[in-house]
Amino acid sequence: MATVTFDGASRYYAGNDKPAVDQLDLEVEDGEFLVLVGPSGCGKSTTLRMLAGLEGVDEGAVRIGERDVTNLPPKDRDIAMVFQNYALYPHMTVADNIGFHLKIKKMPKAERAERVLEAAKLLDLEPYLERKPAKLSGGQRQRVAMGRAIVRRPQVFCMDEPLSNLDAKLRVQTRTQIASLQRRLGVTTIYVTHDQVEAMTMGDRVAVLKDGLLQQCDTPIGLFGRPKNLFVAGFIGSPAMNLIPATVNGDGAVIGGQPIGLTPAQREALTSPNVVVGVRPEGWTLKPAGEGIGAMVEVVEELGSDQFLYCSTSAELTAADASEAADESEAPHTITVRAPGMSAFQRGEKVGLVPQPGAVHLFDAETGDRLPD
Amino acid sequence: MSTVVDRPVTVTEVDGGGDPPKARERRRWGLTIVGSIVALIFLFPYLIMLIGAFKTRPEILRVPPTYLPQEWAPSNFLTMWDTPETPLPANLLSTVVISLCGTALALLAALPAAYYTARHNFRLKLPFLLLVLITQMLQPTVLASGLFREFITLEINDTWLTMILVNAAFNLSFAVWIMHSFFASVPKEIEEAAWLDGCSRGQSLTRIMLPLVWPGIVTAVIFTFIACWNEFAASLILLPTDTNQPLTVALTRFIGQYESAWQYVFAVSLIGIVPVVALFALIEKHLVSGLTAGGVK
Repeated sequence: MATVTFDGASRYYAGNDKPAVDQLDLEVEDGEFLVLVGPSGCGKSTTLRMLAGLEGVDEGAVRIGERDVTNLPPKDRDIAMVFQNYALYPHMTVADNIGFHLKIKKMPKAERAERVLEAAKLLDLEPYLERKPAKLSGGQRQRVAMGRAIVRRPQVFCMDEPLSNLDAKLRVQTRTQIASLQRRLGVTTIYVTHDQVEAMTMGDRVAVLKDGLLQQCDTPIGLFGRPKNLFVAGFIGSPAMNLIPATVNGDGAVIGGQPIGLTPAQREALTSPNVVVGVRPEGWTLKPAGEGIGAMVEVVEELGSDQFLYCSTSAELTAADASEAADESEAPHTITVRAPGMSAFQRGEKVGLVPQPGAVHLFDAETGDRLPD
Repeated sequence: MSTVVDRPVTVTEVDGGGDPPKARERRRWGLTIVGSIVALIFLFPYLIMLIGAFKTRPEILRVPPTYLPQEWAPSNFLTMWDTPETPLPANLLSTVVISLCGTALALLAALPAAYYTARHNFRLKLPFLLLVLITQMLQPTVLASGLFREFITLEINDTWLTMILVNAAFNLSFAVWIMHSFFASVPKEIEEAAWLDGCSRGQSLTRIMLPLVWPGIVTAVIFTFIACWNEFAASLILLPTDTNQPLTVALTRFIGQYESAWQYVFAVSLIGIVPVVALFALIEKHLVSGLTAGGVK
């Protein structure tokens, strides 16, 4: 077990001037579970592959503990990896797949069998040890891939979207298993996913990437509660945070005719009068029509435990006073609001929306950065 | 209104086939007869070869010809080894050496080429592969005179080495292409997993890749070996000495301007095809696809 350090690490692909990973500075603590998350093409898998030695590092360095592994081949890095498609050896049995590394390291047969059995017990794979991967289900194959990684007792686990090929129910189940297994083994783990629910539920910390650049690395609570910029604010959270452009006047940032106050520090940090107001769906209080921001319910999504209302501010404004909607800040918006499950809201119903105290995030519209609290 | 079926649905019902049993029986017999006739047409030359190999010289030239030998002559298979026309033991040895070495050489060159082209992208990859393919389109006869001059310059003319090189070169493209497609079908991640498991590139190739592309290698070996074994045109031009000539060329020496020993032609032909058929029978079970099944989702 060891720390992992990316020290200004960059990766350029042939024929592309823009780096896939751009000057990445990231420190992963010993035994930490770090999740790399971001949209397709953001460089998260490339980052993982740079650590594993499957991609070169064009600039900067990668260290595991005190050891600079930037130019070491994968076999000398003491890293185990779980691939998205599992990459099992199809011509070997489950036992041989799990014990392959130990065989290459010339571990005595008896000890090897013991270690394989230990890993198989941990993953409930004992009955399948003599089967070939083709005779296993998707979930079993995924567990074999995990077994192949844990039997090695490596310094670092790398996991590249290992759950993406499982069905929804199995994914949730395996997610918990992987997280608890990692806590029990205490091996430093870097986990790549594009699923932000996976990221938030599994990681000690989550690193959000976009276009090869690290946007923010924080605890799940930190990312959710204090997103550093507009991208993180929009990416983390499901349904996504409502991001509403507004213009700042003497009263504050105005949405639907309602001003949202700015602190002196926020006013000072502004580069223009334009801001983006971010409020999560659960950050609204629903009021009767006429109070707060007027809106009309366009769609009701009932999930049982929650209800999501997709409201439009335009219809209400048009009905009330169309002439006031000329200002950009008064332009129509769609706002997602979470209501308690089984609520009686109907499509076409007029409601009032009031942001809860402390639920408002303000971002500079020009730079996209969060304004100081 | 829907109805509930409380008995198993038969194949006939699913197919929608409503032929009465007699018609189906007639069709089956009809197909068997047609198939047998087609098989007989294809097997007839081999049958002639087999029967001819057991006929005496006067009988084989008799007009009208006989179907089955009136006097069986298995001695043809003994006397053919010592005839004035050609030194047959040397010819057989020549064929075996040229075929084995040519196949081995083609494979040795094709294996790394196929692996590299399947696994790496380089600027001229497609032109390279097309160039390799173009060599397959050239007949040995087209190049024979050029090769003849070249081998004289290299002072290796009229040796087994010339035909080993020629056979290897002419079969290289097929071997590269067939193995390239097999290597390309193995997901890259399987090899990467092997590297992370502690394998060097060589180890991942021998322990992981080769077992997975084994059907491709077997296919390449069979086809290359058969092509080397059956090669005729280039050998005829490049190997003038009778002791160096392979069986395919030696066979022609039994057909002279004034007399032909057809019984030996057939007997030698029979001997010539036995190793190829045996090789097919031995290796055929390795020609299975789907070895990579289950490796990835």
